[in-house]
Amino acid sequence: MVSGPPVGRVLGTADATPLSFWVAVEPGAYLQLDDVVVTRRQLPDREPVTIAGVVTAVRARHEGAMFESDVFAIADGTLPAQVQEAAEITTTRVDPELYVPPTPGAPVHRAAGEVRAKALYFDRMEQPVPLGVGRDGSPVYLNFEFLNGQRGAHVSISGVSGVATKTSFATFLLYSVFRSGVLGAEAANTKALVFNVKGEDLLFLDHPNARLTESTVDDYATLGLTAEPFPDVAVYAPPRAGDPSGTPDVSSRLAGVDSFYWTLEEFCAERLLPYVFADADDERQQYTMVVHGVTAHLAKTAAPADGGVTIDGTRIGSYADLVDFVVAQLGDEDSRAFWVGSAVGLGTVNAFARRLIASKRDLARLIRGDLPTGRPHSVNTAESAQVTIVDLHNLPDRAQRFVVGVTLKTEFERKEKAGTAKPLLFVVLDELNKYAPREGSSPIKEILLDIAERGRSLGVVLIGAQQTASEVERRIVANSAIRVVGRLDPAEAGRPEYGFLPPAQRARALIAKPGTMFVNQPELPVPLVVEFPFPAWATRPAEAGPAPRATLRSLTQAADAFAVVGARPAGASLSDDDIPF
Amino acid sequence: MRYTVEPWSPSFGSPNQLDGSTPQTQSTAELKLDVELPVDSWRPLPARTDLAPPPVVLLVDGVRRIDAYLWIEDDDGASYPAVAASYAAGVVRCDLRRRVADVLHHRVRRGLFTAAPGATAIGEYEPQHAKGSRHEDVVKAVQPAMLALELVVSEEVRKSTVDDDDLLVTDGPLRGRHRLARTVGYIKTLETDYLCQPQAKVVTGCRPGERSPVFLTGPQWPHYSWYVRLPGRGGHPWAGMVRVQGSPDLTPQQAAALADRSTVTLPRFASTGYKDPRAPQNLVPVAGLERKLRNLLGDPRLLHRTLTKASVG
Repeated sequence: MVSGPPVGRVLGTADATPLSFWVAVEPGAYLQLDDVVVTRRQLPDREPVTIAGVVTAVRARHEGAMFESDVFAIADGTLPAQVQEAAEITTTRVDPELYVPPTPGAPVHRAAGEVRAKALYFDRMEQPVPLGVGRDGSPVYLNFEFLNGQRGAHVSISGVSGVATKTSFATFLLYSVFRSGVLGAEAANTKALVFNVKGEDLLFLDHPNARLTESTVDDYATLGLTAEPFPDVAVYAPPRAGDPSGTPDVSSRLAGVDSFYWTLEEFCAERLLPYVFADADDERQQYTMVVHGVTAHLAKTAAPADGGVTIDGTRIGSYADLVDFVVAQLGDEDSRAFWVGSAVGLGTVNAFARRLIASKRDLARLIRGDLPTGRPHSVNTAESAQVTIVDLHNLPDRAQRFVVGVTLKTEFERKEKAGTAKPLLFVVLDELNKYAPREGSSPIKEILLDIAERGRSLGVVLIGAQQTASEVERRIVANSAIRVVGRLDPAEAGRPEYGFLPPAQRARALIAKPGTMFVNQPELPVPLVVEFPFPAWATRPAEAGPAPRATLRSLTQAADAFAVVGARPAGASLSDDDIPF
Repeated sequence: MRYTVEPWSPSFGSPNQLDGSTPQTQSTAELKLDVELPVDSWRPLPARTDLAPPPVVLLVDGVRRIDAYLWIEDDDGASYPAVAASYAAGVVRCDLRRRVADVLHHRVRRGLFTAAPGATAIGEYEPQHAKGSRHEDVVKAVQPAMLALELVVSEEVRKSTVDDDDLLVTDGPLRGRHRLARTVGYIKTLETDYLCQPQAKVVTGCRPGERSPVFLTGPQWPHYSWYVRLPGRGGHPWAGMVRVQGSPDLTPQQAAALADRSTVTLPRFASTGYKDPRAPQNLVPVAGLERKLRNLLGDPRLLHRTLTKASVG
């Protein structure tokens, strides 16, 4: 609605163009950055054109002052002068689409309600996802069509660590997608896979936030959401190092955590060895050939043996044993050719062996041959809760890459096999610059690129976060329909990756406070500044309220009461010896 | 030998058109010098420290501009010169309590000055009769029109003001405004040398912020007068000197009180040389007002074009 007195008039001393114009603010009124305004242009023999825009700069000056020191005379009440404020408007929408400039002197009104929604294209969004509130206190929406793959997918979130609240925003976005009703009936089957890389922060998404206040609850209500923790969360953590029983390595969350690992059999059969060498550095080395040779040989010869594997008659019960066995085989003149062929030089083989031996320490607890075979241990979002959290924070770098790489590969292959995009899978991955750096290539980067380029049609939506978008593979950033920026580093803000921010917003991003994000979506020519509400779920152990009842369930669920000890896990083919249930 | 450069920009003339020691422009007015002090005890009077400036100071000024020179030919074939001029007058209100200065009131007029009988309006320019049909007579007719407008504005603002503790300063002599209460005339350019020695010496002996005693001139256009030296760079004996007028309807005591009040008020408004070509005499609020009024006169090129169009059409 356009009501009340005008907030200003279009300036005539600066050029007014269809895409940007200046407004002189009426005395006693004000315009702040991000305010939405609207003006009308009358045309002969046509309906009037409504020009709506967002305030992208404001300034105030003394009119009538000629010298800088005149300000003292003016403040002293000696020199008559007028304080005149002006605001730069960047046009967001012209309706009907006749690109004429607004007439200087035309009244400009603050937009509210329907007019504001129209100015920001909210009226065209069939599935609006609330993102937070704008500076004017009204909700700001995201067009879900640009997130669900229909017209675009993927989110790229950038900002300085600690103050940019990237992960909080990612979780809020997930919450909003799940709870705002845009998914309709698919809400139950839509899944999210969240990798937790810092502290045990994300392990408490299902715990209410103890610091939740009344006003935060109201903020959620403004957005049409209820302030609750995520209802359905499964948490996976790696097994504790050196613990033969494979209990999850977490310190603050004690209930409702399952450990994840891969059996030696899976490691060999699913050809996971390349993910051990997932450094971009590794790919440049000559031994890639050795890696693929050994992988193939393991897949061909390894046979399952009660948790472990047997290769060429040797029983192997742990990752360390496997490494030692492979290194011994490669060291032997006779057997080497069976593994990697004869064309590989000894130096290359030794380089591979050194790397492989070094990986023992990092991966021994993730690749196991000593745990009961019937125990559920794999991360599978399709059979897991709505939100699956994979904890990586305790793992060394190489192990983190291995887990991310293998998990993403498995999930992506599963979606590929399913053949339909719906229900969607959201993948939240922080420190994207580590997994998909701009330079070099690695198996993980290949998967992430695959997700970025084909995920849209397969229903895999990547919500990637990074401190510096300039260090992430360009094709991944380019494929993100939604770009989000929190507090930026001054040097980083100047890079071309942030070209979508107008200069004023770029400067503001340097001082953005936690909880303020600049969201760019394809339909809008100007990024919108949103403040998303304080999370209703705990984002760190100290904030966690009482544990939900559901987490206790997992204590008993983790071990299937009806599972036959020693039986193959569900989904594996029955062998003749197994009891058929 | 000592030289002093007049601080005013030469395009504004000299603020001091006295001839120094040879008083040729000596006024023929009759003076009454013992209004405030006996003649023989004349001395520079410092600003009274127990007196505060009024909380509100109103300053009136006008500007004028010639937009075009025209020729008018009547049906008989006689031709007359004419001048299209825009002029404006306004009041700036300096509220020293709230520390706000704003232009309180202003009027803009446009006039077609000519001696041609039966001249009609051209565009926004209303015909105004000029005495004498020579070119310079027509040009001279603009000034009285502006002064008349200043008078109108002064009276209007006096009627509408609610403060009874203010001071109205008119730029230039009081002229018809001596009936307005609490009003002083402020004369920047000293053209007439009223005083003889040794009183003139008393005036030139005033330091910045000091004034001469009040004296009365007459009998034509009688008024009280006193000199005030404004702060600024020194130089010659009359540097920074202004003459202030008070209404002749006042008692000598009231006139002296008004003089004291003006002495504590005016120096704070004095302008500085690098900002104003007529410093320090051209007061800061007046300079601001003139700037604003000039803006209100409109764009000269646009007006000239409008007049040209109107004269053809």
